[in-house]
Amino acid sequence: MDTALMTRPRVRLVGGVCAGFADHTGLPLPLVRTLTVVLSVCGGAGLLMYLWLWVVTPVAGYAADPLKHVLTLPSDDGGADASRRSAPVTEILLGMALLAAAAALVAARLGADVPLDFVIPAIVVLGGAGLAWRQFDDLRQQRSSSSSALVIRALGALILVALGILLFFVTGEEPNVWTVFAASIAVLVGVAIVVAPWVVRLSRDLADERAARVREADRAEIAAHLHDSVLQTLALIQQKADPASEASRLARAQERELRDWLFAGSPGRSVDLADELRRIAAVIEEEYAVRIEVVSAGQSPSAVPDALLGAAREALLNAARHAGGTVSVYLESSPTAVELTITDRGPGFTLDDIPSDRMGVRESILGRMRRIGGTAELAAGPGGAGTEIRLLLPLSHGGHHDEA
Amino acid sequence: MTKPEPTDGALTVVIVDDHSIFRSGLRADLAGNISVLGEAATVDEAVDLVIGAQPQVVLLDVHLPGGAGGGGAEVIRRAAPHAPSTRFLALSVSDAADDVVTVIRAGARGYITKSSSGSDVSDAARRVRDGDAVFSPRLAGFVLDAFGAVTGETAEASDELDRLSAREQEVMRLIARGYAYKEVAASLFISIKTVETHVSSVLRKLQLSSRHELTAWALARKLL
Repeated sequence: MDTALMTRPRVRLVGGVCAGFADHTGLPLPLVRTLTVVLSVCGGAGLLMYLWLWVVTPVAGYAADPLKHVLTLPSDDGGADASRRSAPVTEILLGMALLAAAAALVAARLGADVPLDFVIPAIVVLGGAGLAWRQFDDLRQQRSSSSSALVIRALGALILVALGILLFFVTGEEPNVWTVFAASIAVLVGVAIVVAPWVVRLSRDLADERAARVREADRAEIAAHLHDSVLQTLALIQQKADPASEASRLARAQERELRDWLFAGSPGRSVDLADELRRIAAVIEEEYAVRIEVVSAGQSPSAVPDALLGAAREALLNAARHAGGTVSVYLESSPTAVELTITDRGPGFTLDDIPSDRMGVRESILGRMRRIGGTAELAAGPGGAGTEIRLLLPLSHGGHHDEA
Repeated sequence: MTKPEPTDGALTVVIVDDHSIFRSGLRADLAGNISVLGEAATVDEAVDLVIGAQPQVVLLDVHLPGGAGGGGAEVIRRAAPHAPSTRFLALSVSDAADDVVTVIRAGARGYITKSSSGSDVSDAARRVRDGDAVFSPRLAGFVLDAFGAVTGETAEASDELDRLSAREQEVMRLIARGYAYKEVAASLFISIKTVETHVSSVLRKLQLSSRHELTAWALARKLL
């Protein structure tokens, strides 16, 4: 890893330069910080060094694992975050200009011999640089929008910088070829110094953007490949094998896992009722020779009483134990109610068939639903065969029920 | 290639899928009176095969390489004008709504998942050949969602394209619960023919509706 780039951490005190440098060289962080401060006090070398490193080192990226890069969706919040947290250069430069002006005024008042020839241009240069940076930052953040006004303002600030530098020279003794020459070089260099960090950042932004695009393309390609080859094979195994067989069950579990991984949205996405049901179904499928098909319609709610899930699990277990084969779960979520239907094609049963000592259905499904203000119905399944359990839960607006 | 003459009542199909294992597996599993006229693995091969063989039904994978990258939907758009009596049944491992909607809107008469058994696929192919539509439970769920049935939108006029009638919603709900057409008919006390009519009408709406949810996907895939 000797070619590793020095980067600045995303969480930092000022600019993250010291932390980055310490991390890069392996020196202890407090030592680096002390050295920087000491060097800054001794003639400002530390400060210059700090500024230079701050300008040229990039902020640390996301996880350094390239495979993970490829396989996770790029998040957009990172970039904006970084620019928001960066040190307030503009304010610092403008503040320095104002401080210099104030100090000069105070010193003049006190009768000191203020070198106005030097101070006024310095203030103008600092102010111009500060303004220019602010415009550049704005430019960088809204590249796409119409930014001609921003460009004009940025140019104005640059002209201010140039004027400030020129002032150093016009206030001097009578101009000759050399002062004019030096002045023009100074203006060019000055403007370049102000513009350079912005150019560096802009090109880095572009590179980041390109890298993100490449990552996204890679991910899509891997997903497409897995989708086409592995999922197909798993589907084929399920088609060929007896639905109740171990092979079919393994293929199905694997398919689900892969699918979750491939098509899962952003990791921060909240788990809703349909996801919960699929999870429960997966667990039951692993234990019983059953295939559970979960279909969901409508925006399924994310906060539902545990009792509803408990009743659904019980109904599914019941179907898995007594019916097997394919069990269908249909979830329909409207803004006012959640309706869940669990259908199997087993031997079927009615409440009268259940001995009263068997608490399963009576308590864990019917009782649970009643306690949270919902209803549970038992009916004959499709075409009179099997069982259909219908759970209905009206949603009160705002409030959520909880199992007591 | 000598084309086997379809006997009366036999069903002629071609299988379009880029995986040879899947093609041969499906071929072996199809019911005895279904004759497979050929197989294709890419969009271009599929278009040529369908136009050349004029099968009654094309068993079509949604994701296919080749062509302009449009997969199964592209096969339908390119081949259908030259094979007027051919019907398309989409087979997919994907249950992403946009994939499904894309092939259906391109003209597929039905959609089933690849884990369906050989006899399910055979039944579905026959149904599609007879002019009916084939909906998987998941597609039915999606239709209920996309047409606002979940939030209580119901069509008032029978010719309305953007909403489902009350009866269509009932049929779709039962299909979403895993009911076969026969079972739907028995539960609603209507004939199977009526169930088929409702499903076909929903399919037509799915293909022609300009509902926002549907067109958004179509637009994203540059289909309109």
